[in-house]
Amino acid sequence: MRSVRLALQAMATRFELLMYGSDPVALRAAGEEALREIALLEKQLSFYDPYSEVSRINRDAADRPVRVSARLFSLLQTARACTESTKGAFDITIGPLMRCWGFVRSTGTWPSDQTLNAARAVTGMSLVRLRGAGRTVEFARPGLTIDLGAIGKGFAIEEATMLLRQCGVASALLHGGTSSIGAIGTPPEEPEGWPVGIADPRDPSRNAATIRLRDEAFSVSATWGKAFRHKGTQFGHVIDPRSGQPVRGAALAAVAHSSATWCDALSTGLLILDPNTARSVSDTQDRVRWLTGYRKADGIAYHSQGIDTN
Amino acid sequence: MGGLKVSRRNFLMGGAMISGAGLVRAANIKQRPWPGNRDDVNCAIIGYGPQGRALASTLARVPGARLAAICDTYDPMLLRARRDVPEASRHTDYREVLDNPEIKAVLIATPTHLHKDLAIDALEAGKNVYCEAPMASSIEDAQALARAARDAPNQIFQVGQIYRSNPQHRSVFQFMRSGAIGKPAMGRGQWHSKESWRRTSPNADRIRALNWRLDPEVSLGLIGESCLLQMDVAFWVLGELPSAVHGFGQIMAWPDGREVPDTVQAVLQFPSGLHMLFDATLASSFDEAYEVYFGTDSTIIFRDRGKAWMFKEVDAPMLGWEVYARRDRFYKETGIALLANATQLDAQNQDPTEDDPNVETPLWYAMQEFMDNHAFGPYPPAADWARGLEATAIAVAANRAITQRTHINIDPAWYSLD
Repeated sequence: MRSVRLALQAMATRFELLMYGSDPVALRAAGEEALREIALLEKQLSFYDPYSEVSRINRDAADRPVRVSARLFSLLQTARACTESTKGAFDITIGPLMRCWGFVRSTGTWPSDQTLNAARAVTGMSLVRLRGAGRTVEFARPGLTIDLGAIGKGFAIEEATMLLRQCGVASALLHGGTSSIGAIGTPPEEPEGWPVGIADPRDPSRNAATIRLRDEAFSVSATWGKAFRHKGTQFGHVIDPRSGQPVRGAALAAVAHSSATWCDALSTGLLILDPNTARSVSDTQDRVRWLTGYRKADGIAYHSQGIDTN
Repeated sequence: MGGLKVSRRNFLMGGAMISGAGLVRAANIKQRPWPGNRDDVNCAIIGYGPQGRALASTLARVPGARLAAICDTYDPMLLRARRDVPEASRHTDYREVLDNPEIKAVLIATPTHLHKDLAIDALEAGKNVYCEAPMASSIEDAQALARAARDAPNQIFQVGQIYRSNPQHRSVFQFMRSGAIGKPAMGRGQWHSKESWRRTSPNADRIRALNWRLDPEVSLGLIGESCLLQMDVAFWVLGELPSAVHGFGQIMAWPDGREVPDTVQAVLQFPSGLHMLFDATLASSFDEAYEVYFGTDSTIIFRDRGKAWMFKEVDAPMLGWEVYARRDRFYKETGIALLANATQLDAQNQDPTEDDPNVETPLWYAMQEFMDNHAFGPYPPAADWARGLEATAIAVAANRAITQRTHINIDPAWYSLD
């Protein structure tokens, strides 16, 4: 059994691919095709590239319906379904709120009520009209934007792993920035699956949990590393789109699911939801394993299903 | 084609022309509406690999185009077609597409060596044809296809030498032709990528077909498959075609049994005396792709979809307008941005060195030209059969020079028709 490793810088992160098989030339060819697809998706989905389909939507959809490709339309429908499943905690229209809180290319600032209300008025998937007949996207108001950053990596991993399978790859692990992962089969001589550690929010050098992935995707969202203080309270860089306020609850949310896109959306959603709502949301999903961690005075309180903490 | 004539007089005229235009302005930069009295054009794509998919996603945004059918002989590609364009019919036999009278335009994105038969059949079926570049893998095939296109003057035949349709390139072209470069001395172009060029499939029979670029019997190698569009720009801006080529090719990065070199150099020799080096490699992605033209007054570099910068010699005459132009640092050099709509963007407080959000991709403009030709033509497109034949014949010669590591004189008869 031979291994081939490939890497790609895309979507503001590093994707790494590890594959096992008998023919390294074929493995590399398959891996290159998969990574090319991720690069292609970056061009299609980027919020920042003015040529991207997403940028065209953001530029024109408040003026007129914008026709989009079938794949992007399907992703937007998935994003809407994710919003509904997470009771509004996951929302791709959150950009104006992120900007008003100074979370885009900055450390964070407390907005005025007026600024916050203006941002809230242009946030919400209910303001995005998706029409299947013409495959068009239209915004109900100017100022609305969509940003697929929270599920773009997951979607790219889902598409890339599909191509790897089509090329005959039977054992592979693909991750984007270590936070979104897609697993195909198992590594050699580890039939229980690919081992993946979930870092402890108090000490990222330790693992809070380890799970095994086999033909499954995984995503972890966390608030550590990015935070700002206001009047003595620390706030993370995660906004609850329903309230427009930074989240003060979960420090960590991890989800394993058959779809990498859903993993990304659910882990973002679970980070925002309170423990009871998070559990009820997770319970509605088929074949999902999840873990959330909430900061307490004496440590982290974990809630989970199908994932055991160390 | 006439050579690039540079004199003090037309240099100054060129400078005045550019100054009067307030830097350059692309004539074609905005979307034109599709004529209201025209039905959308039903299009079919034959070949749904990466380029076929790029055509499909572009056509979806071009006014007047309706992608009605997709043809490919490989099931996984048709599965992708179903996901990407569910409303388009799917076919494994291209004859079904050609026999459909509703299909008016056929876009051919198959492996290069299959272009000729498909395109001639499509022309004979009365279709308008967009054929990816290179338009064939041999001079004989290119001539046969060019002849068929020439003999069908009431049908559109456009080759995928897309920069010919790109307003960004057209605007920078004016700088070159204005003489701002001084006396041209030499040129250099590169296409660099880190990839194996291999494709794979669980189906063993399919692997050989997928790897046509590595088949020395049919592949035009890196110089033909990757550099042709850049060479075509060189022929266009220099205003002449090479009379000879000297080539080198090596396998440096991927010694996996392949015969097609993964690293090549070709020196094109032009009648004016100018030489231009093209190098391409699959070993390194460093600095990706660009073309640079060195002259006695300045050096101009083209990169990133038609962006260009000019680096002036200290003793070069003042052009006037460059006082106001945006400058960008490139290590120790300072480049003057030569950008379509630069003044307009400045007025809108947008950075001209960033991508202009109003600009489409070169492929989009090529598709727009193809669709416009259905509404207002037929007229010869910017990349017509003659430009396709020229570029293909020269690419064939360059690839032969590379694989044989030799010098080849280019016979103009190779890109001429009886």
